[in-house]
Amino acid sequence: MLFRMIRGVLFHQKGKMLLIAFTIALGASLATGMLNVMLDVGDKVSQELKTYGANITVKPKDSSLLSDIYDVGDGEEMNAAYLKEDELGKLKTIFWAFNIVDFTPFLDTQVTLPSGDTVKMVGTWFNHHLDLPTGESLDAGVVSMRSWWDVTSGKWLDEKDENFLSEIMVGTLVAQQQGWQVGDTVKLTAARGEKDVTVAGIFDAGGDEDGQIFATLDLVQALTDRENKVASIEVSALTTPDNDLARRAARNPLALSSRDYETWYCTAYVSAICYQIQEAITGSVANAVRQVAESEGAILDKTQLLMILITALSLIGSALGISNLVTASVMERAQEIGLLKAIGARDHSITGVVMTEILITALVGSVAGYFMGFGFAQLIGHSVFGSAVEMKPMVIPIVAALIALVTIAGSMPAIRMVLRLRPAEVLHGGH
Amino acid sequence: MTKRKMFLRMITASLLRRRSRMLIALLSIGIGATILSGLVTIYYDVPRQMGAQFRSYGANMILLPKDGTVLTPDTLQKTLALLPEEELVGATPYRYVRLDMTRRQQSFTSAGTDFSQVVKTSPYFSVEGEYPQHAREILVGKEIADTIGVKAGSSMQLTYKPTVAVSENAADDWVPLATVRGSAEGWNTSLVAVTATLDSEARIASITIDASSQTEEYGGRTQTDEAFQNQFIGKKLPLTLGEDVDALSGATVTSTAIVNALNHARSVSQAAVATERTGYYTVTGVLVTGGEEESYVFMSLEDMEALTGESRLDVAELSVSANAAQLEEYVQALTDADTGVTPRLVKRVTRSETAVLGKLQALVFLVTAVVLLLTMICVSTTMMAVVSERRREIGLRKALGASDNSIRAEFLGEGMFLGALGGVMGSVLGFVFAQVVSINVFGSSITFQPLLLPVTVIVSMAIAAVSCLLPIKRAVAIDPALVLKGE
Repeated sequence: MLFRMIRGVLFHQKGKMLLIAFTIALGASLATGMLNVMLDVGDKVSQELKTYGANITVKPKDSSLLSDIYDVGDGEEMNAAYLKEDELGKLKTIFWAFNIVDFTPFLDTQVTLPSGDTVKMVGTWFNHHLDLPTGESLDAGVVSMRSWWDVTSGKWLDEKDENFLSEIMVGTLVAQQQGWQVGDTVKLTAARGEKDVTVAGIFDAGGDEDGQIFATLDLVQALTDRENKVASIEVSALTTPDNDLARRAARNPLALSSRDYETWYCTAYVSAICYQIQEAITGSVANAVRQVAESEGAILDKTQLLMILITALSLIGSALGISNLVTASVMERAQEIGLLKAIGARDHSITGVVMTEILITALVGSVAGYFMGFGFAQLIGHSVFGSAVEMKPMVIPIVAALIALVTIAGSMPAIRMVLRLRPAEVLHGGH
Repeated sequence: MTKRKMFLRMITASLLRRRSRMLIALLSIGIGATILSGLVTIYYDVPRQMGAQFRSYGANMILLPKDGTVLTPDTLQKTLALLPEEELVGATPYRYVRLDMTRRQQSFTSAGTDFSQVVKTSPYFSVEGEYPQHAREILVGKEIADTIGVKAGSSMQLTYKPTVAVSENAADDWVPLATVRGSAEGWNTSLVAVTATLDSEARIASITIDASSQTEEYGGRTQTDEAFQNQFIGKKLPLTLGEDVDALSGATVTSTAIVNALNHARSVSQAAVATERTGYYTVTGVLVTGGEEESYVFMSLEDMEALTGESRLDVAELSVSANAAQLEEYVQALTDADTGVTPRLVKRVTRSETAVLGKLQALVFLVTAVVLLLTMICVSTTMMAVVSERRREIGLRKALGASDNSIRAEFLGEGMFLGALGGVMGSVLGFVFAQVVSINVFGSSITFQPLLLPVTVIVSMAIAAVSCLLPIKRAVAIDPALVLKGE
């Protein structure tokens, strides 16, 4: 009998029930979409902020000061310390390897140009292909880590070309001073050798780098007789904004209690990643570039908080909207409920019937709404960030609980109210 | 009773009598309006607020002296006056010199700056200790601090040596510079410029005269007359005309100017040598940035001036709260104004900021659009439910002889009244919400957008009207008998 009654309502009052299901679907899709976007926005924005460049620099432990402090410039004559190029792959083996988005090594020297001028030449990776010990492979280098460079003429140096070893990229200032064009062949003389190279591209970096020459790491190593040596590494990592624990840990990780240490080590704080890089690369000091790390944290925090508040508003909005409609629909059925009461139905069985009807409608609505919300989330993900928003499974129970709560909270008081009315009055049509 | 009065009475009566239902409708419109006005306010405010957050990346514009000129604090102030004050977050002047650590074979790049501005343009600077607040206090980069072992509270002795070449075995009471330059007024008060190189014993080794401003056949000959110029070689400054050197005949005024110019150049050089000064400084903090600033020493501009005896700047870093296009405009405006500075954008910051800020704005826009759309549909479904419930009433009125149009007008009027009420309510609540968000997220309040009030009210009324129309149309179309019968 119960089933028949419910079926009757669901099929005979199709229009009304569809309207309720539709509204619940809208509310559920709003909740699903917003929750998913909110949960993923941190990763997405963090990914976008990578355009600011590296947030960690790795230098050899002993020599990092010498050229800066003593102003000796050329490092070759000194017994300077270096990092090893073949250890770079280890960066992708640390605990937070997955968060390391990109990295590139640097090695610089002074070269003498045909005009007699001396400029700084930097050896680095451009789009270096790297096969990792883990079996993965990736392309890393300055092409992605200097996204703000304008290659004003020519092209980025491509490590997939055959003769990339005898190509260079030149900053606009150098190109202007020397009158170089793309395609020119020039002779570079360094401390331990000389080489004829071709200008592959001219870039405008809007900074010091405009007065420098960039070439592949191999070329600079060969010119200065420093095989497998690297002066510094820039690392771009996705990080969690610092909190108090991270700041304490940055000062001295060993002073933490073992539990705090564990929490810190297993959270993607920039200090934790630095610490793990130091463990992986022998004789290295990894430092957070505060200009990037700090600002990233601030912007991420703000964006997340903003999204949380907007999500909260839309959740409250859809909850009120749904419960409002459910209340209205129950009150509209006062006559029917009055009739049921008049023919002797008990209060709890009426409540049971009405609630079951509404909950079934809500279920249908929320399933449809979840998929609609999925669509909205992907729409936002693709049009804003150009990538899919990850659908978090935890959203499903949250939305389900929310809809259930809202429907029950919206219908129960209304049913109670209607039940309190006297059947005769309701049937008579007086209010 | 007039028709209008009757209309009003019917609307208010129905609103009052059916309180609970009308409350539901009002609530639902109110929610819609709150979300509308709240989100739109946030949407308009986000770029500004987020832009301010992005300033934590530091300077996005730098001012350099034009080639061959010197940047002075005055020039800087003049230039800054050209930028809109409310968009200028901070402007930090820098003067870089190399200072030696007295009695130690070490020298550091030192920057004279204004710490009150550093805090604004470089908010990412982290100081272990405190920023200097008084004279003779300095901030030391972490790398230097680690190397020489200083910390907050230590004191350091720093010496400034002018970077001009100084001869070591001076025979005179003043240490001569390798080259002295000077100028003085000659014939017709035009300037005559003289450059002389000095040997290690401060004697003139060579002399170059620029008397192009003088009459060619008189004073102008001093430029080429070898016999006249040779008189100077081997002599020590200062010189007296008529004793040390003789004036060129027919060019006495110009010859006097040449001697005066050399003597003046000597006194200036003396002053320059005398500026080799030493000062004692207290370290108030150690600077950690992870960048090259860690190998600098920072002191106030006043201390730097006292130490070097010069009031000049090398560069000024500006943090301007504006997007890339606006920044380009400012650069153009500053270049056109020609105040003696070359503005340049820090590409790394401006480029990335434009990219990321654009995405964030698009995100908030889309989210706002989706939330608004869904909320508005939600509102209209609720309104529809409330109105369709009144089919019986409509049927009864029709049976009593009411025309379709008067029924439509009455119900629409009722709906729009609710819409207006809900719209006003929502505008206020929405502003409160936006304010709460702004204070919690960005720590600053927002201004009320007066335009948003009528927009919200009109949109709410429109939505209410549209969602009433459909059920009314249906009810009106039905035979009153059927409706009354309860079908």
